[in-house]
Amino acid sequence: MLRNNADSWGAPAKLFHWVMAALIVAQIALGLLAVSWRLSPTKIELFFWHKSMGMLILALLALRLAWRLASPAPVLPADLSAWERAAARSSHALLYLLMIVLPLTGWIVNSASNIPFHIFWTIPLPAIVAPDKATADTFALVHRGLFVLLALLLGLHIGAALRHHLVKRNNVLARMLPWGTP
Amino acid sequence: MISLGLCGAALASLAQAADWKMDPSGSRLEFVATFEKTPVPGVFKEFDTRLRFDPAKPDGGSLDVTIRVTSADMNVADVNKEIGGEDWFDYAGFPRAEFHSTDLRRAGVNRYLARGTLSLKGMRQPVDVPFTWAASADGAVMEGEFAVKRGAFGIGAGEWSKSEVIGADVKVKFSVKLRKSG
Repeated sequence: MLRNNADSWGAPAKLFHWVMAALIVAQIALGLLAVSWRLSPTKIELFFWHKSMGMLILALLALRLAWRLASPAPVLPADLSAWERAAARSSHALLYLLMIVLPLTGWIVNSASNIPFHIFWTIPLPAIVAPDKATADTFALVHRGLFVLLALLLGLHIGAALRHHLVKRNNVLARMLPWGTP
Repeated sequence: MISLGLCGAALASLAQAADWKMDPSGSRLEFVATFEKTPVPGVFKEFDTRLRFDPAKPDGGSLDVTIRVTSADMNVADVNKEIGGEDWFDYAGFPRAEFHSTDLRRAGVNRYLARGTLSLKGMRQPVDVPFTWAASADGAVMEGEFAVKRGAFGIGAGEWSKSEVIGADVKVKFSVKLRKSG
């Protein structure tokens, strides 16, 4: 089953969700290690992988959004209250937004720093802003601030999924599991 | 009489090899390092070239280049801050580099080779500098490029000597505008 239907997620949507979940966790670890590492070849390697993964995540997100438009998400359980529906919609919208804006702000930092960069040593990344130290510093702060917001939202996302499963006892979490066919 | 004649002949042959001086505004000395297999260009903004050269008879000529290493600019603020340190150019210890050659030879039509010694960061290494020669109404332009191993000069010491992140080869490119100085 490829397409989503009213009750369940198709295989492509699950694959996008779990592959990107794994990439984002790895990406957060890489980013935190990269900023805290002392200046050394290892630090440069960490930033290199962080930047390459960021661009991979952005590219995957474009495909994921296209798929989501082509194959709408399953409906929420009928017993959810209005605030729960609003919270689910807005937190998912914000997660998608952050998956776009975090790579973009990172891209701006790289461009403003004027660092030549090839994604995974192959595809040259064009600059999207002119080299400027103030721009680089400002967007580095924005990038970090957005990361904190993302970390909070991921906590909320996981907490809400567990609440659906353990408290409300619906299939919202189970139907996203790779092996789950509720 | 014979010795005077020989002396005169020697003077005459010397006179044919003209002295040339560099026009700094029309001259450029670049170096291209690699960073995660991506070229990162830099320039030495201040350098000077003295040449004793007869394109028709290169033997007996000489080429002397002095480079103010501290004028290096790699266009990335963070990188510029680092390259003056002890692990890299060590501005404090070695602010100048020099290239001297008294072995100029023809290598083809308008092509020559200057075999000499590059002194950089306290290391002296033999370097072959190929160049083309283009005479113009008001002087001449010599251009060329060659590669050096940064490790041979201790550029990138300690953990930076590994070449996976910062490549081992650095390309040097030059275009020097010269005027006859009599």
